Amino acid sequence: MKIRRIAAVWAAKTAGFVCKKMGRQGVTWAGKIALKIYPPILKELAAEVRKDIFAVCGTNGKTTTNNMLCAALEAEGQKVICNHTGSNMLNGVVAAFVLGAKLNGHMDADYACIEADEASTKYIFPQISPDYMVLTNLFRDQLDRYGEIDITMNILETMIRSVPEMKVIVNGDDALSAYLAMDSGNPCVFYGISRPVMKNETNEIREGRFCKKCGARLEYSFYHYSQLGDYSCPQCGFKRPLPDYDAEDVQVGDRLSFRVENRLISANYKGFYNVYNILAAYAGVRTAGFQAEHFTDMLKKFNPENGRMEQFRIQGTGILLNLAKNPAGFNQNISAVMQDPSPKDVIIAINDNAQDGIDISWLWDVDFDRFGEESIRSITVSGIRCQDMRLRLKYVDIPSILEPDVEKAIRDRIKDGTGNLYVLVNYTALFSTRSILKKLEGEQK
Amino acid sequence: MKLTIGHLYPDLLNLYGDRGNIQCLMKRCQWRGIEAETIAFESNDRVDFSGLDIVLLGGGSDREQMLVCEKLKEIRDDFKSYVESDGVVIAICGGYQLLGKYYKTDQGTITGLELVDMYTEQGEGRLIHNIVLKSELFDMPIVGFENHGGRTCIQNNKPLGKVLTGAGNDGTSGYEGVVYRNVIGTYLHGPLLPKNPQLADWLILRALKKKYGEEVELTDLDDTQEKEANDYIYKRFVK
Repeated sequence: MKIRRIAAVWAAKTAGFVCKKMGRQGVTWAGKIALKIYPPILKELAAEVRKDIFAVCGTNGKTTTNNMLCAALEAEGQKVICNHTGSNMLNGVVAAFVLGAKLNGHMDADYACIEADEASTKYIFPQISPDYMVLTNLFRDQLDRYGEIDITMNILETMIRSVPEMKVIVNGDDALSAYLAMDSGNPCVFYGISRPVMKNETNEIREGRFCKKCGARLEYSFYHYSQLGDYSCPQCGFKRPLPDYDAEDVQVGDRLSFRVENRLISANYKGFYNVYNILAAYAGVRTAGFQAEHFTDMLKKFNPENGRMEQFRIQGTGILLNLAKNPAGFNQNISAVMQDPSPKDVIIAINDNAQDGIDISWLWDVDFDRFGEESIRSITVSGIRCQDMRLRLKYVDIPSILEPDVEKAIRDRIKDGTGNLYVLVNYTALFSTRSILKKLEGEQK
Repeated sequence: MKLTIGHLYPDLLNLYGDRGNIQCLMKRCQWRGIEAETIAFESNDRVDFSGLDIVLLGGGSDREQMLVCEKLKEIRDDFKSYVESDGVVIAICGGYQLLGKYYKTDQGTITGLELVDMYTEQGEGRLIHNIVLKSELFDMPIVGFENHGGRTCIQNNKPLGKVLTGAGNDGTSGYEGVVYRNVIGTYLHGPLLPKNPQLADWLILRALKKKYGEEVELTDLDDTQEKEANDYIYKRFVK
């Protein structure tokens, strides 16, 4: 049996190497090969992790939170296995372990940080039995693939209960996530933001307006964004739990800063939602028993280079690339763009490949009317469903430029734009757009 | 001229971009100088049909439809007389199923509004596709997206269109949706109206004629972008 395991690790490493040489995102292929050769590989490798395994779940913020948690543990001197690229289905998780294993087929890791697609938890959790789960939030996403949000919640609750000792580190500001964690009976750790930060006058679609426990309408004293906020049920008493890790004095602008446990945390990021990602990683590393003294230093150096708020400078134009794949995420993107008062151009690329969700009706649940301000000098719509995106903007009286070819769209705006360009793309457009930007960056050298 | 759109229970039925249908109706009125207003009735509100010109019933999850079902009992009679006096209704997905007698699921049976002689039963697996129809009502094809577990039987009623690609009402009859008096029911979202401006204008015109008389006409709008978006789906999936 040992021989098959080593063979699986070697074959996967070879596959991973070949893919990398070909410049492809091929890690899932490596995982698939390893599983074929030796099916119990994930269970065995996971059991060899010396200390604990984290699973990171939730609709938005998984990849950023997981990478940050990994970096925070590494900053504490730990060896960590992590699916950095965000390949979060079974094959991607297997790949993270086999590619991280030694050539003798054994692991050498203190921790594993594993981002897991919600629907895939039923294949992943039985193999890795996580010690901790970080649950970031639950929003509507890819209804054609996951079905209704209720279905996702049912899967997650079953999986949480299947590992009863697993500690759930959960965003207490989200009534859906907090209910799931509390109802599961597992031990919980809560994080949240207890005071309102941003003015929230948007017309956002909010999930879970009714109490999951008793069905009555929840009352909110304020919303942060989407359904995140301070809620309570007038009927059964279900309410936002007091956070163990509470972000106070939150400042959002060109940078983010807040205090938690009387410690000042600041980061060179945009986007209010990143406060939650940082806070989740912090709660994770603290719950694992570390003092997190190196956390702020880690943040200074943290650069995941994965297209999440990634900055480029090409021929004098500053470009910010970000992923926007569902209404909650897109609305947060719009907030981040509008925080910048200077003139800017925006490119939006929307694909409808299987991994994006083939149903793009969610575009109509995004508050694009907020782009109708003077500082937005142009909007270019691109990607496979650029026609739908153009129409979406037309119905909030915002004209746009249609350019299906993302590279041409970017080149055009670098040439004739304001020098301040935001590129917002959904999932399958992310890797290709990032490659284009890397290429253009290289051309000027 | 002025139209008032009633959006029923957006707190429960708001899946799949239903807001886009409202936005489309509003804009296509306003661009023509017709005043338009939307009243959202949440599940605790009383619905007064006498002030409404177009009623939109959107889609919701099965669980939410169960909750809505209770509310519907209270408005069934008023809704029925609204429909029988040629009130305009657009019902999408879950809302479409609720037009009929019942929706039978493995979790139980949801009693419908009984506005149209039709019924729905849950089938094996969900029907999830891009979908294109040819309707007798319009020259342009109707394009959209369907995602439903229910199979709807519309009895002797007229369908909205013939399925060119996709599943439609039950995946076997070859037809999709229903047209009854001034009511259109359909599984198509995406949302439905922006890429199907002729359907949006059909609803607007019916509502205006009922309110202001048969001689009302709609001025043309520049629908180049709508047509291009519609045509893209048609060419990609039907060719």
